[in-house]
Amino acid sequence: MSTAEVDGGQVGPTWRERLTKASPVLVLVPSLAASFIYIFVFTIWTLYISLSNSSLLPSYDFVGLSNYVSLWSNRRWNIAYSNLFLFSAFYIVGAMAIGLLLAILIDQRVRGEAMWRTIFLYPLAVSFIVTGTVWSWLYNPVDGIQMLVRGLGWTDFNFALASDRNTAIYAIIITGIWQSSGFAMALFLAGLRSVDPDLVKAAQIDGASTFRTYRKVILPVIAPIFLAVAVIQIQFAIKTFDLVAALTRGGPGISTTFPAIYVYDLMFQRGQIGEGAAAAMMMLAALAVVLVPYSFYVVWRRRKENRHD
Amino acid sequence: MTDATIAAVHDREAAIAGRRHLASRTIIYALLTFFALIYLAPLVILVFNSFREQPEIAQNGLIAFPRSFQLSAWADAWSTYCIGGTCEGMRRNFLNSLWMAVPATVLSTALGALNGYVLSKWRFRGSETLFTLMLLGVFMPGQIALMPWAFILGKLGLTNSTYGLILVHVIQGISFTTLFCRNYYVSIPDDLIKAARIDGAGFWRIFRKIILPLSPPILIVTVIWQFTGIWNEYLFGVVFTSGREQPITAALVALTASGTNVRAYDVMSAAVLIGALPPLLVYFFGGKYFVRGLTQGAIK
Amino acid sequence: MTFTWKVSAGLLSFALLSGTALAEPKTNLLHQWATGSDAAAVAKLGEMFTAAGGKWEQTSIAGHTANTLAKLRADVIAGNAPPAVQLKGPEIAEWNATGMTANLDDLANAEGWEKVVAPELIAVMKPTGNWVAAPMNIHRINWLWSSPKVLKEAGVDAVPKTWAEFNAACEKVVAAGKICIAHSTADWSDSTVFEVVVYGQDIDLYRKAFVEGDVDALRSDGMVKALTQFRLMTSKYMDPGMVGRDWDSMSALVGKGDAAFHIMGDWTIGLLTAAGFKEGTDYTCSQAPTDWGKPGFILNADSVVFFKQTDPDYIAGQQLLAKTILSPEFQTAFNQAKGSIPARMDVDLSTGFNPCQQQSLKDLQASIEAGTLVRSMAHNMTIPQKLRGAIMDSVTEFVNTPAMTPEQAATAIADAVEAQM
Repeated sequence: MSTAEVDGGQVGPTWRERLTKASPVLVLVPSLAASFIYIFVFTIWTLYISLSNSSLLPSYDFVGLSNYVSLWSNRRWNIAYSNLFLFSAFYIVGAMAIGLLLAILIDQRVRGEAMWRTIFLYPLAVSFIVTGTVWSWLYNPVDGIQMLVRGLGWTDFNFALASDRNTAIYAIIITGIWQSSGFAMALFLAGLRSVDPDLVKAAQIDGASTFRTYRKVILPVIAPIFLAVAVIQIQFAIKTFDLVAALTRGGPGISTTFPAIYVYDLMFQRGQIGEGAAAAMMMLAALAVVLVPYSFYVVWRRRKENRHD
Repeated sequence: MTDATIAAVHDREAAIAGRRHLASRTIIYALLTFFALIYLAPLVILVFNSFREQPEIAQNGLIAFPRSFQLSAWADAWSTYCIGGTCEGMRRNFLNSLWMAVPATVLSTALGALNGYVLSKWRFRGSETLFTLMLLGVFMPGQIALMPWAFILGKLGLTNSTYGLILVHVIQGISFTTLFCRNYYVSIPDDLIKAARIDGAGFWRIFRKIILPLSPPILIVTVIWQFTGIWNEYLFGVVFTSGREQPITAALVALTASGTNVRAYDVMSAAVLIGALPPLLVYFFGGKYFVRGLTQGAIK
Repeated sequence: MTFTWKVSAGLLSFALLSGTALAEPKTNLLHQWATGSDAAAVAKLGEMFTAAGGKWEQTSIAGHTANTLAKLRADVIAGNAPPAVQLKGPEIAEWNATGMTANLDDLANAEGWEKVVAPELIAVMKPTGNWVAAPMNIHRINWLWSSPKVLKEAGVDAVPKTWAEFNAACEKVVAAGKICIAHSTADWSDSTVFEVVVYGQDIDLYRKAFVEGDVDALRSDGMVKALTQFRLMTSKYMDPGMVGRDWDSMSALVGKGDAAFHIMGDWTIGLLTAAGFKEGTDYTCSQAPTDWGKPGFILNADSVVFFKQTDPDYIAGQQLLAKTILSPEFQTAFNQAKGSIPARMDVDLSTGFNPCQQQSLKDLQASIEAGTLVRSMAHNMTIPQKLRGAIMDSVTEFVNTPAMTPEQAATAIADAVEAQM
């Protein structure tokens, strides 16, 4: 709050006026303080712990980068980190592709739009524990899809997607896409609805086919939404924990270990809090790789818009 | 060319266009139906299994049309199934989750709305930077926050209590709710606010009279987002509460984690559905507004 | 103080509680036995604790052990350590080293625990000379569960005693079209079978590698030999269904007569009994194969560790709980439900215990005499968690990677452990 407005000769503002003036800031302060602690203090604390020799409980003896060295010499961590990139790539592209397809289909003035939307959106409402439980039944090599198809007559049908170490990660990807493509659909649909109808009409008058209209006119307009969807999906991917825990528990073997799972194991199961914190910092680093350029882009775009205003 | 031939050509073109139209409609609906079946399959399987008798599930597999019928699995899961040594079903955990999720959703949404209002309509020097920094909270992995939270809750004397969980969820939710609301309020014309200020309306009055009445679409989005997120959260729920205070996700994991007896798939299905029901209902009734709210600017 | 409390407290020795007689003993046990017979066994503890005048509460956390440990750690960091926690092996020593565990020496002396508790356990319960934990049971890991039906069909006359005999029997079983070893792959179950193989082949190697965590032993030829045997078992004698199978349905394969053998700890008894299978007809138990012709015993034990408290009610509750846990009545009831044997050596097993449990006690005593008793690495009774985790990761990767050779696996295990040192 500033008192610069108080002119020498005049009576200063009453406390009530001052309060009113300060309201916006006062309202923001609790949230800001809490968020500041949550985001920065927690992160800095984790960073410090990652440089300490904390084992069973946090301790504050500085040991430099040895936790990071140990982490990167660990096979399981390397597998986890590369899984993260494989998973993110397929999961994001898959969820966006299917989400966009569904959004375009629904955008064709179909009957029962609300029903279709609800069907595609409901997996988002379900916890990963529920999703993981049901899908692990489907993937079950004995009782699941395999039994169903064999019962239909293909007796030598084999379906071991989740139980083969080379393909188990795709089982997680498919389940992840099932869960979140509805969200992508909702965002794309929102974007499609925000496109200026005159633009579309103009394209149609020019004789462009539906496909061409989408490719040349509509999709470029909603390009920013692609980016927003991708960023949201990436942070889902990096934080993936429950889904893997419920579906494969990191197995078979260690083939589907993810960073979040490994962080949890190190910190809590194995009592290596220091190395776990180092792994958590690497997760943050992965997030930063995505987020820093994105936030620069957002700021740049906002500036540009403001200039046009 | 005579007029007649021209008309005939037109007719033919119209017919082709009609057929094309019909074909494209068929493809659209076929695709939608195909995806809908895939999306619905897990839910349908769960519903079926919750009404099938366990021996029949064992015999015919997990994916099969019901050939037996019972209601007892639902009753078992709700009130008598033994989880963690107490045989009270999931009723208690269900209520725990409700007492946690409802206040936490309301509080975080209220804070988000106020923050969004300030950051969009009462900007001050540095407010954009503050907004960007707050956004970082969206990306914090839960594993990082676990131990610091334990420390803070211990200092505040809020361990093993629902209040502690509410606090955690409210603070972790602020980033999301602020983001949603701020982006929505930005699209409300500043002229409205200016006019009100000229009329002498202050901070709170403008919020009450102008902003709030325009807010329902975005508040529905944040409520849905927060409620499902908090309801479905497992890690913090299980770590920060004890014994009978645990939320439903802890009970679900206890139920679905392997037991030493033969798995009761029927009770598990019913339990999983009970655990999923509140967020499903929220989506079912609010889904329409969710998409509408997103359309009106939550994403930007 | 209520009347019932007085009466039931009278059944216990009053002397100990006199110091805290004004407190109303209560406890909250943090454990991971959330379902099935485990939960039933814990419920038994609750009943006895309540009957002895205590106020019983529990926090059971299902699923991964990490969840229980996360909760423990969060509570400790919050300055709110739980009064009683189910913890085992090296974890007892690790938490003892933090100085946060309670000292039970007075109670132990008064009750004479030193004289009755199995000697191998005393060292674990007293990491630095003071009692900080109460043992609940002794599990045996190196059991071989066999299906008499399948063995007969395959023409195997006797249960194999050595690994050579075991392989010969498996060849016959596989030729007869049955699964030889019922298995479900997961880090802990893979390591359970593997440690039984190592132990059965070379007990000195077991001690060096899995008890001392010696990297050279992990890299040695003996380890390659054990891995070669293990590879034969995973690739030929186990079925592909081992991936994705629920751990609690492995033993049923033997009970139902789908598989000939199952190598697993004695909690299998609880699973088999719950599923209605009978010892002698549906399954038999015998010591897992060894090549050194002596009785052997791989030991695992569950225990409850007590953390320092300030609330006198909780302190009184700790004394009462520890006393209850080590009472012959609880040791009997708990272990009959769980398949293990009492941690007290003076409990009579002749009635109410399964013949396999009676055998377990005999073999335990014989193995102590023969000097062959070891603690289990796979079940977290020897090396620290970080080394154990490194070994288990590599072992389960070996099981699930058919292309990995035993030599590569031995190197991978040793490297992984070395990286953690």
